[in-house]
Amino acid sequence: MNRFPKWVIHLGLGIICAAMMVPFYWVLKTSLTGENIFAYPPSLVPENPHLFYYVDVWYSIPFFRYLVNSVIVSIIVVVANVVLNAMAGFALTREFMGKGAIIMLFLSCMMIPFQVTIIPAYLITRDIGLLNTHLGMALPLCSTIVCIFVFKASFDAIPKSLIDAARIDGVPDWMIIFRIMVPLSQSAIATNIILAFIWSWNNFLWPLVIIRDNDMQTLPLGLARFLTVVEDSTGALYAFCIMVLVPGLVIFLLAQKQFIAGLTSGAAKG
Amino acid sequence: MAFAIRRKRTRELLLIWFFLAPSLLIFLLYRIIPLLWNGVLSFEFWSPYKPAEFAGLYHYEEMLLYDDVFWQAFWNTAIFMASAPIGILIALLVAILVDTPIRGRNVYRTIVFMSYPVMTVAVGIIWQWLYNEKVGLFNYVLVSLGIVEQGIPFLETASLALPAVIVASIWQVLGFYMIILLTGLQNIQPSLYEAAAIDGANAWMRFRRITLPLLRPSIFLCFVIGIINSFTNFDLIYVMTDGGPSHATELLVTYIYRVAFKLAQFDYAAALTIVNFLFFVFLAWLANRLAGGEVGAVETG
Repeated sequence: MNRFPKWVIHLGLGIICAAMMVPFYWVLKTSLTGENIFAYPPSLVPENPHLFYYVDVWYSIPFFRYLVNSVIVSIIVVVANVVLNAMAGFALTREFMGKGAIIMLFLSCMMIPFQVTIIPAYLITRDIGLLNTHLGMALPLCSTIVCIFVFKASFDAIPKSLIDAARIDGVPDWMIIFRIMVPLSQSAIATNIILAFIWSWNNFLWPLVIIRDNDMQTLPLGLARFLTVVEDSTGALYAFCIMVLVPGLVIFLLAQKQFIAGLTSGAAKG
Repeated sequence: MAFAIRRKRTRELLLIWFFLAPSLLIFLLYRIIPLLWNGVLSFEFWSPYKPAEFAGLYHYEEMLLYDDVFWQAFWNTAIFMASAPIGILIALLVAILVDTPIRGRNVYRTIVFMSYPVMTVAVGIIWQWLYNEKVGLFNYVLVSLGIVEQGIPFLETASLALPAVIVASIWQVLGFYMIILLTGLQNIQPSLYEAAAIDGANAWMRFRRITLPLLRPSIFLCFVIGIINSFTNFDLIYVMTDGGPSHATELLVTYIYRVAFKLAQFDYAAALTIVNFLFFVFLAWLANRLAGGEVGAVETG
């Protein structure tokens, strides 16, 4: 439908992409030189790049501790999501009484943003004794409605005749699940892993509410509180940003297709 | 025989509910009970250290009649939401350009989308420093071009802080809008355009009469995401301005956090949450009605 000349399209997209990339570039440059605190006007190319600020971040705060916390929470969330969502998605492919009600319930839960539940969620977590714990941080994220439906759609797409044939041959149910259904649902599993990881890795408000203990902080908490710990240092702050952004970006670039498939299959974060 | 079949059916039902139970438990614990609890709490006087007392509509009265900060947060949230069309419009333009068969379109798409999955806390910090009065990139450019003489303290100026935060938010969510619109564009049959071209419709008419109507569900989905975004965008505000200066960037979600966890007024915060939620549901319902009831529908069949 377009009759723009090609160079106009390239120019338009080039400008947008430049606008999208400038903040990233600025962070990277400053983290390598730190110069925009000392030099004015700041230069556009990094001069004398060095890794001093990265080392500085590593030693001036318990960075490794935060990293381990973030990784533990993310692992719990990812594993729980894949297992629980696959189970729920599988159940929803079967016929049973109350199925319509359950689906309605799930869809209405999607309309409750997590942000409007924080006060009672905090009180509940306190009552079951999970404040200041990894499990407490992970639990609310452990099952996602969008991903349940991703799994359901994927299981529905498996031909019934295939499963019936296996049944007639006397293959036990658990083997049908692990030898037929799981291999045929690889893309749903990948989607779920990526979405769960990104949501957990970036999660901020919930840890902020339930974590008081310095040892239990995750990377986003450490990042947000960084300036109160370290002297006003843009270089170190930006180095911290890069160190936190890289894992998310790498995973996104490696699995862009599944990530986008997951996002467009549901309206919003469940 | 019939007995055996029934027993098998019972076993299957048990398995189904066993499979559903963990997810149901999590949603019950962290969605449904909290929502109901919020409702109850909003009609009580309660703090962690004293027993609950019935308060009637006290908190709601306080909020709607006397709390200026609530109204400011309310209108800020509305403004935040009203800015969504700007992002959607830019995203539509980008999506149309990326949808053309040019070389490198995948690279362009990836770059535009890349800001979405990154950590919002980091985005907030990056933009906070881009806006910095003395060393920020924006002021550097403005001063170099001679537009202003002194750097502008964007985030410390009441009238500029909210627009500044909104720009950062649009930057982050733009790629998400684009992906949704792109999916919508790619679902339009090319034969429609060919038929229209044969009938002599020019490019603008084809856009008006084919692209826009068929893209309507995708555009409204973007609106719904914009609405959700304005109700949930806590991280960005907390890091960039913490609601300041003097509540100029306070959204309902940051105000609820402040009242509950800084001022320890859980009961009042619960009332705020209920109003916030009703406002949200109303808008989502409205958007859904306007879109013909198909926004956000997940295949349930």
